[in-house]
Amino acid sequence: MASLIMQMLEGTVTSLRIFFLTLLFSLPLGFVVAKGKMTSIRPIRWITDLYIQIMRGTPLILQLIFFYFAPFYIFGTSYDRFTACIVAFVVNYSAYFAEIYRSGLQSIDRGQHEASKVLGFTKPYTFFHIVLPQVIKKIMPSLGNEVITLVKDTALAQTIGVAELFRVAQTASSREFSTIPIFIAGIFYFVMNYIVSRLFAVAERKLDYYR
Amino acid sequence: MEKMINLENLSKSFGETKVIRNISFTIDKGEVLSIIGPSGSGKSTMLRIITQLERADDGTLTVDGDTLFRSVDGKAVYDRENERKIGLKTGLVFQSFNLFPHFSVLRNVMEAQRAVLKRGKDEAEAKAMALLRKMGLEDKARMYPFQLSGGQQQRVSIARALALDPKILFFDEPTSALDPELTREILHVIRALAEEKMTMAVVTHEMHFAKAISDNAIFMDGGVIVEEGTSLFSDPKEERTRRFIASFENE
Repeated sequence: MASLIMQMLEGTVTSLRIFFLTLLFSLPLGFVVAKGKMTSIRPIRWITDLYIQIMRGTPLILQLIFFYFAPFYIFGTSYDRFTACIVAFVVNYSAYFAEIYRSGLQSIDRGQHEASKVLGFTKPYTFFHIVLPQVIKKIMPSLGNEVITLVKDTALAQTIGVAELFRVAQTASSREFSTIPIFIAGIFYFVMNYIVSRLFAVAERKLDYYR
Repeated sequence: MEKMINLENLSKSFGETKVIRNISFTIDKGEVLSIIGPSGSGKSTMLRIITQLERADDGTLTVDGDTLFRSVDGKAVYDRENERKIGLKTGLVFQSFNLFPHFSVLRNVMEAQRAVLKRGKDEAEAKAMALLRKMGLEDKARMYPFQLSGGQQQRVSIARALALDPKILFFDEPTSALDPELTREILHVIRALAEEKMTMAVVTHEMHFAKAISDNAIFMDGGVIVEEGTSLFSDPKEERTRRFIASFENE
């Protein structure tokens, strides 16, 4: 039992690595994508839109397989599973975050931009000091949702053989003819998401000082 | 009298719709101009062009001796070097206040002083507090906009505009989002500024107020100035002005 828990903790570390690396890259990249979708330059808007449509319109599991095998068929080389897994997650989650950012950016009253312009703020200043803080407050609930989904989606990495928590649990389960490892994995995911949702609750409360 | 604003032959269209047709007027230093007229007559667009929220199609505009744009072959050509300089000379108060909700009242009034004029914290704060005191909002400095009434929010936004020491302040229907009692608050503030010889242009539907504070007035309809001069309140010459003014008498 103790060794099972140790194995599962190792799997959890891999799951957490997927989780944090995905957030690290897709949270900022999502902004770039959102900007691309909101630009007045049409070709960029079309490409961005197509990208978002594909990412949202096809299963993540399929995207994982694609990013693992495509380099081999296209370039004749492949990279390791973990890298492929991170690439797939980042590309997928950037699309979802982009849509969340876009909804947030569009919900900011035009008057905020106009007041900033009349007061003489530069565009970057307006974005970082006036718009962004308000966007973050507005999107907190949807962002929380998406991050919680990400915790559970890390289980899909096993499709391309990444030994994350769920794969470890499944292997143990078939080795020991028992479903208990799977249930333990369930508790692990639940605990992780409990922490995530508590953190988001704290963040939302911190931003509650204004309306 | 020195001119603060000299506008000649301004034209502006949105797509096919001509919203401003060949308008000219001047505002002297220390003068209060009221701009009245029905909705869609181009009043707000005109203010938004002078405060650089919209671009002019054609015309010439000089603000305090600096030219923002000049008519060249039927097109307004902007002087890029003057855009920012003139922007700092003009202030605008919006109908919907547009305060920054995530900043305290004090920070709303300090932010541009710090970020744009690069004033030190102490100087900016002293200036902001003095303006808030003047607006009767000294005790609200630490509050957030959502905690204030509409009238108080509008007074903060006036303080925010004044904090940059503009040469001329524009008001775009500053009381249209307020009930009659709060409207009086704001009119009182604008009147006090007029007494200090602040140069102002006010788009408003408050006829009695406009008549009381104005040194000059223009009545706009359909993108043109139909009539000019304070006599339009008491003794309108044009039939269109007469009908518009009369519609307020019956209130």
